[in-house]
Amino acid sequence: MAQHTTRLVPDKPARPALLSAEGLRYLLARPSTREALVAYVFLTPFFIFFIVFVLRAIVQAGYMSLHDWKVLGTTQKFIGLQNYTELLNDDVWWIALKNTAVFAALTVAGTTALSLGLALILRRNLRGTNFFRSAFYAPSILSVGIVAICWGWLMNTDFGVINYALRSLGLRPINWTGDAAVVIPALSLVTIWWGFGFPMLIMLAGLQNIPEQLYEAARIDGANPRQVFWYITLPLLRPTLLFVTVTGFIAHFQVFGQPYFMTNSGGPGRASYTVILYLYEAAWEAFRMGFASSVAFTLAIILMIITLIQFFFIGRRVEY
Amino acid sequence: MAKRTFPMGALFVTVLALAFAFSLSITPLVAQDNPTPTPIVAEAGSGGTQIVFWNGLTGSDGVTLNEMTKKFAEENPGYSVRTESMVWDVLYQKLQAALVAGDAPDVVVMHTDEMPQFVNFGALQPVDFIYGTGPDQIDPADFSPSALESLKMNDQYYGVFLDNHGWGTWVNNALFEAAGLDPSQPPVGFDAFVEMAQKLTLDANGKHPNEEGFDPENIVQYGTTVSWMRVTFLTLLYQNGGRFVNEDGTTGVNSEAGMRALQMMHDLIFKYNVAPKPAGFDNWQSFAAGRIAIIPEGSWFRNFLVLDNPDIEFTVWPMVQLGDQPATWMSAHVFYIPVTTEGEKLAAVQKYIKWISDNSIMWAESGQIPARLSLQAELDPDTYPSNIVFAQAFNEFGRFDEMTPARTELMSALDPELDAVLNGQKSVEEGLNAAAERMNAILARG
Repeated sequence: MAQHTTRLVPDKPARPALLSAEGLRYLLARPSTREALVAYVFLTPFFIFFIVFVLRAIVQAGYMSLHDWKVLGTTQKFIGLQNYTELLNDDVWWIALKNTAVFAALTVAGTTALSLGLALILRRNLRGTNFFRSAFYAPSILSVGIVAICWGWLMNTDFGVINYALRSLGLRPINWTGDAAVVIPALSLVTIWWGFGFPMLIMLAGLQNIPEQLYEAARIDGANPRQVFWYITLPLLRPTLLFVTVTGFIAHFQVFGQPYFMTNSGGPGRASYTVILYLYEAAWEAFRMGFASSVAFTLAIILMIITLIQFFFIGRRVEY
Repeated sequence: MAKRTFPMGALFVTVLALAFAFSLSITPLVAQDNPTPTPIVAEAGSGGTQIVFWNGLTGSDGVTLNEMTKKFAEENPGYSVRTESMVWDVLYQKLQAALVAGDAPDVVVMHTDEMPQFVNFGALQPVDFIYGTGPDQIDPADFSPSALESLKMNDQYYGVFLDNHGWGTWVNNALFEAAGLDPSQPPVGFDAFVEMAQKLTLDANGKHPNEEGFDPENIVQYGTTVSWMRVTFLTLLYQNGGRFVNEDGTTGVNSEAGMRALQMMHDLIFKYNVAPKPAGFDNWQSFAAGRIAIIPEGSWFRNFLVLDNPDIEFTVWPMVQLGDQPATWMSAHVFYIPVTTEGEKLAAVQKYIKWISDNSIMWAESGQIPARLSLQAELDPDTYPSNIVFAQAFNEFGRFDEMTPARTELMSALDPELDAVLNGQKSVEEGLNAAAERMNAILARG
């Protein structure tokens, strides 16, 4: 059936051809064009840096990963997917990947739980809250070198304060960075201390975004604090939790400084050897830039898969 | 609308927290009594011809070299030297990037071990023109012939020694005397060494490992340590007649000699209880604290004792012989010239290298050994006892690792396996076979 519409507004004047001077004037006179132009002017510096230092580097790394790349070579030998085949057939790569996954899982879980717990406490306007917010965030401003050196001494088997305290309590000292079973949790513990401040602030912001009337309604309905947490706080905090876990996994999968400084690049044996240490050795000790690029690309793919899994399990139930 | 006021309390606590964080960050610096930081960039002289010089001497040795460079500039007013010091890894990384960018230094110091890799990259030029008996040349006869061979590739010399350095043995006199032992009498052979180490090892109850009731979980003083595992292993590999890289291009680490070498180290820890597991154990601080009696360490250990721990009475032995023959691992700091240095700069670099080499007796202060034989003979025995002991040992039985461009990568394959074996994660055979499999794949790749 044919539809008939009635025009309620008068016809707009005909748009001039865009490739004419009049067309250009018309285009520039439009507020939306002017707004867009201003936006692009502001974005241009970022785009230039992004294209030169990120996009171009990514494309170049992809290209390099298909070559036996010599830094000072005048020609580079194309070897197809050989670097990727070598990587996937290397037992040490799988050891590094497993260690990294365990470290990232422990650290993300620990950081999320600790930052959420502290955010819940600091959300209340108790005496000294401002001090603790600042104090908890303070470790985040330290560099990994400082953190690793300080904790390396604290955890020193023979001269460390922690083992001194354990001995004082009549307990056996722990070989924190020298015991294969303990080293990853130990590095994870250090990383949680170092990095929980930022997610704690994000959690605090997330908690403040939850409408107060929902809590009031819950209290009127007789909900106890545990029920309030499970049925109101946690569901409404899912976007924040998603952000914290996604960025946490991406960051902690790239752990480097802690094992580099604290466990002599992944010891004992390869008990704390991680993917970025593997990449670093390939690129900057063996100078196999093509192979190292294939490691970087493979890591990026793994992180994309992990992120998609997180979106699937946490993100699909997010209420925005 | 209520006016928002700035929370002064929050500002105060923020400043307090930042101050706390800052205090943490400077703790390692203030903890040292007399820190002598090596300048990252040191300028010497103001002459028109400037030499840009990179090295990885970031410890007290860098300060010594800068002093020497200053003297060179004073004696040669037409030249100036800009010395840039950075950690070794960074130097190796930056050098290639600088060559690509056309901004390479005029001269660098690296170890002998890195030479094949960088020659293979096409980064270094031959320096045969520096050797000879002419006025601006250095007489090759003034070096140990075997050491000089380590600078040769494709029948050309690629570097000039700044020093020789390597592995030896340091002992704590007080612990020896307390055990009724004479520190001037080094043991010969593995059994004699174990016997001595047992006398020097004590548990919390004052018992030795060969006594009834000894508690291996509660050792307060160790007779010895495996120290830097890689270097002790290579030394023992050579003492047992093995090679790092065989003539057929495969590795010799899992040869019979390699197995014997690592088994010795393993037994010191797990069978005889005279050495600690290496992971988490701080060898240098433990020696300083009187918890280790005999430590295999490098010639560079001198400054840790002489400058940082002057109260410790010590004796130096050549590397103890635990295998069938005397041998000790050695290496060297070497001047190399990048391919981009030419013309007037090349002549200036030659002059600089010759001056440092001629005056390298001053370099003994850094703890290292002057490579020139004529200068080794001039070392004062009261000031440089360790340098003299090490120099003699290197000349008699020092061993450089076999040359291979893949050395760094090979070591990355070997180190974790040694670490795993000596921390009880793998058997000697498992560890060395795993290392060899990986190393042979690297060597086969070329």
